[in-house]
Amino acid sequence: MKPDEMERLLRDTLGREVAAAAYRLEGLEERVISELGDRLPRQRFVDWLSGLVAPTRAGRAGQLAVLGATAALFLVVGSLITQDRPLGPSMEPSLASRANHEILFVVPALDAENVVVVGDFNAWEATPLADENEDGIWTASIPLPPGRYEYAFVIDGRWWGQDPLADEYVRTFGQYSSVRYVGEGGDGA
Amino acid sequence: MSIPKPGSGKACILITEEADGSVYRLQDEVSLLRASLAGETAAWGEIVSRYKDAVFGLCLGFLRNRADAEDLTHDAFIRAYNNLRRYHLDKRFSTWIFTVAANLCRNRLRYRRNHPVVEQPIHLAGGTDPASIVAGEARQKQVQEALSNLPYGYRAPLVLRFYNDLSYREIGEILAIPEGTVKTRIHRGKAMLKDRIAKDVMQHETG
Repeated sequence: MKPDEMERLLRDTLGREVAAAAYRLEGLEERVISELGDRLPRQRFVDWLSGLVAPTRAGRAGQLAVLGATAALFLVVGSLITQDRPLGPSMEPSLASRANHEILFVVPALDAENVVVVGDFNAWEATPLADENEDGIWTASIPLPPGRYEYAFVIDGRWWGQDPLADEYVRTFGQYSSVRYVGEGGDGA
Repeated sequence: MSIPKPGSGKACILITEEADGSVYRLQDEVSLLRASLAGETAAWGEIVSRYKDAVFGLCLGFLRNRADAEDLTHDAFIRAYNNLRRYHLDKRFSTWIFTVAANLCRNRLRYRRNHPVVEQPIHLAGGTDPASIVAGEARQKQVQEALSNLPYGYRAPLVLRFYNDLSYREIGEILAIPEGTVKTRIHRGKAMLKDRIAKDVMQHETG
C-alpha cells in the first residue's frame, strides 16, 4: 500500500463513518439551546473579583480604607482577647521565657584526651568540652531555649550516657542517654 | 430555534431572507461568539450548527462508539458555552472547541476502561455503485477495525489530522503534546494501521 493510499483510506473511512451517523445530529442545535435556557456563560473568578473593585479611583480609595479599618479592628479585638489568657501547655511561651539559658555541662574524666557532648540540641553532632585547668573536670556552656533535651557525653570515643546532673535517663537502642529540662520548671543545671 | 427578530432589542445575528426565499448566514464567527457571551443562545445554536459535524467526527473517531459520540458532542457544546469566557476571541475557535471535546472523550475512555460496553460495529454510508461497494467496503472495514484497535495515543492524532484536517501544531495544542510527538505518532500510527491491515489480509488469504 502506498503512503498516500493509507491517508486517502483514512479520510474516506472517517468521513463515511460520520456521514452514516449524521442522522444522530439532527436537531442538536435545538436540544443544546433548550438545555441552556436563559443561562449565561459562567463568569470567571478574576472577572468576578474585578467586578468587586470600584470603577473610580475615589471609590477604590474608599474600599481600601474600609478594608484597612476592618483589618485594624480585627487586630485590636484579637489582641484584647489573647492579652489576659494564661498560657496553656501547648501555647507558645512569651518571648522573654523563650530566651536562651546558659546550660553548663560538666563531666569528670581524668586522663581523657577528647570529651564531647552530643544531643538533640546539636543534632547529635559533637560539641567539645574543655579541661582548661587540666584538673580532669571537662566543661562546656551551651545556650539553650526552654525545652527537654536528651544528650550523652562521649569520652575518648566511649558513650557515657548517665550524667549525675541529669533530670532523668532514657534507654534507647540498648544504651542510656541523659535528659535535662531547661526553663519552665527547671533550669537544667 | 428561536431567532431574534430585527428591532426586537437583541442583535439580529442569524439570518436574512432574500426575496427568492434563500437564506444566507451573514454573521462572522466572532460576532456570533460575542452574542453568545451576551447570553444569546440562538447565536450559540448557529455555532453548534457550524461545528457539530466536526466535533461529532472527532468524538466518533476517538471513541469508536456512536451513542457516546452523540452524547459527548452535545456535552461539548454545553460545556463550551458555560466556559465561553475562558476562550480568547483572538484564537481559533475550532481549536478550542476541539480541545473541549477531546478532553471529554479522554474522560469517557477512562470511564469505559472500568465500565466496558459491548461495542456495535460502525456501519459506513454505502455508495450506490455495486462494484465500488464490493471493492471499497472490504478495505474500509479493515481500516475501521484497525483504527478501533489502535491505542488512543495514536488514534487521536490520526483522527484530528485526517478527519478534522488540522495542522501538527493545532493537534499538539488540543492533545497537550509537543508538535514533534504529533508527527511521530501520526507516522507510527499509519505504519501500525498498515501492518494490522496487512496481517488481516494474510489471515483471510490463509484462512
